[in-house]
Amino acid sequence: ERGRARYSGGGRAVQPGGASALRNFPSRPPSAAEDGRRLPNTAEQAPRACAVCVAAMAAAQAEAGGARSVMAGAAAMGDAGPVGPATAELGAAGPAADGAECGAGDAVVAEEPPAPPALPGLRLVQQGAEAHVYRGLFLGRAAVAKLRVPKRYRHPALEERLSRRRMAQEARSLLRCRRAGIPAPVVYFVDYVTNSIYLEDIVDSITVQDHIYSVQKSGNDTSGLRKLAEKMGELLARMHDEDIVHGDLTTANLLLRPPLEKLDLVLIDFGLSFISGLPEDKGVDLYVLEKAFISTHPDTEVMFQALLKSYAATSKKSGPVIKKLDEVRLRGRKRSMIG
Amino acid sequence: MERTHRLELFPERSVTLLLFQHVKNAAALRKKAMEGSIEGALINPAMIVDPFQILVAANRAVHLQKIGKMKTRTLYAEIIFSLSPSNNISDAFKKFGISDSDTAVLIVLVMDGDKNINLADITSQVEGQQVSLDELPQLTDTAKVKKMYKVTPQEEKIGSLLDSVVCRMSTKDVL
Repeated sequence: ERGRARYSGGGRAVQPGGASALRNFPSRPPSAAEDGRRLPNTAEQAPRACAVCVAAMAAAQAEAGGARSVMAGAAAMGDAGPVGPATAELGAAGPAADGAECGAGDAVVAEEPPAPPALPGLRLVQQGAEAHVYRGLFLGRAAVAKLRVPKRYRHPALEERLSRRRMAQEARSLLRCRRAGIPAPVVYFVDYVTNSIYLEDIVDSITVQDHIYSVQKSGNDTSGLRKLAEKMGELLARMHDEDIVHGDLTTANLLLRPPLEKLDLVLIDFGLSFISGLPEDKGVDLYVLEKAFISTHPDTEVMFQALLKSYAATSKKSGPVIKKLDEVRLRGRKRSMIG
Repeated sequence: MERTHRLELFPERSVTLLLFQHVKNAAALRKKAMEGSIEGALINPAMIVDPFQILVAANRAVHLQKIGKMKTRTLYAEIIFSLSPSNNISDAFKKFGISDSDTAVLIVLVMDGDKNINLADITSQVEGQQVSLDELPQLTDTAKVKKMYKVTPQEEKIGSLLDSVVCRMSTKDVL
């Protein structure tokens, strides 16, 4: 609804997506009344349920009646006369505009969620932008189901292709990781129709993110974190040596299997991964992790240094990668251009 | 004795596994399977690590059948094909199907809700002793499985043999 208000601001509602006729507004010169008009409009239409419809109403009014009657209808709130025809127009154009607008609005506000799979013990774990993640039992085993969220604003052919490619990349990277002995979930089933993937659920695991939070909160065990960082560096080095670039390295995408002291790490969420031998891609991968680290976990610069050191020690191709990482660090936002 | 599992994603379907030892008529059974007179997939238990492996293959086969994208001609053939890491159908049959000299046979049936398959019908055709699925690990030839699925030594450290096998099965045609 916030988004809707933004779009309808200033009278020229820009409708993203959908070839709705509502897009073609008769051009109205911006007038002083316009800003004032926004508020009375909202108040006037308050009884209507959907805030989306507010914009629809404005649009419908504009279409149906032309500027004059709209302004008349808005300005003359108490007036029976002008309001009559305006509301009549509203009535006619309203439901039609309502439906179309709400439809288009829905596409922007929330994509239609995929139907959850009928797995026993099903629980929605996360509603990401890319996919809905569920946990449940699949063929008798604890599994994670990732159902891609279709993006209706995309052209369907592109959507299908992109969805399929992402899923294929995820499955391929997972297999490649496993073959190389890099801990990652086992793929149980790939559904090419709904572009969803069913993976092993690492039960009773916690994310490295949560682990760091709890360790930092409890105050002790800083040496443990250092060891964790070293293990992470080692794991990432091995992954990059297989030319697998994760694409979304964050502490939330690294799991620790119980018991925690063993520092048994598992990499998850390869949805944005790809195969590449370029030091640039690997450097960016590490940069993404560094940013994620520093932004989510305060005072972890030392930890990340330990990670990089262990990475450099483990990986055979680390030299160019670290070099690229330094280069990438110099790019980006909030960099002073001095020197 | 036998084990039945419902396919969660295909609620009307359920998979039943029957294991037989000391089988004497493997050749005849194989012929019947080829002709299609046995309603089931006859699998060599030496290549099976765990019933889960069969379930994953059956799930995949049923899915492909539903969307009309099976590579083989029957559901049961598709199950055997799904078990194989290769894309060669006859190779899959050779390695995962039963051969004339086998003494152990694993039979997989897929039941469709209303259509009731008579288990006794199947078991009567096998000249052998039906045993519990718990005996399956003893019949598995792990060395052969590792070779067939090309399991790497590093992989064995991060998971079970079943994990490696299942992962390959499900990502077979992802490229």
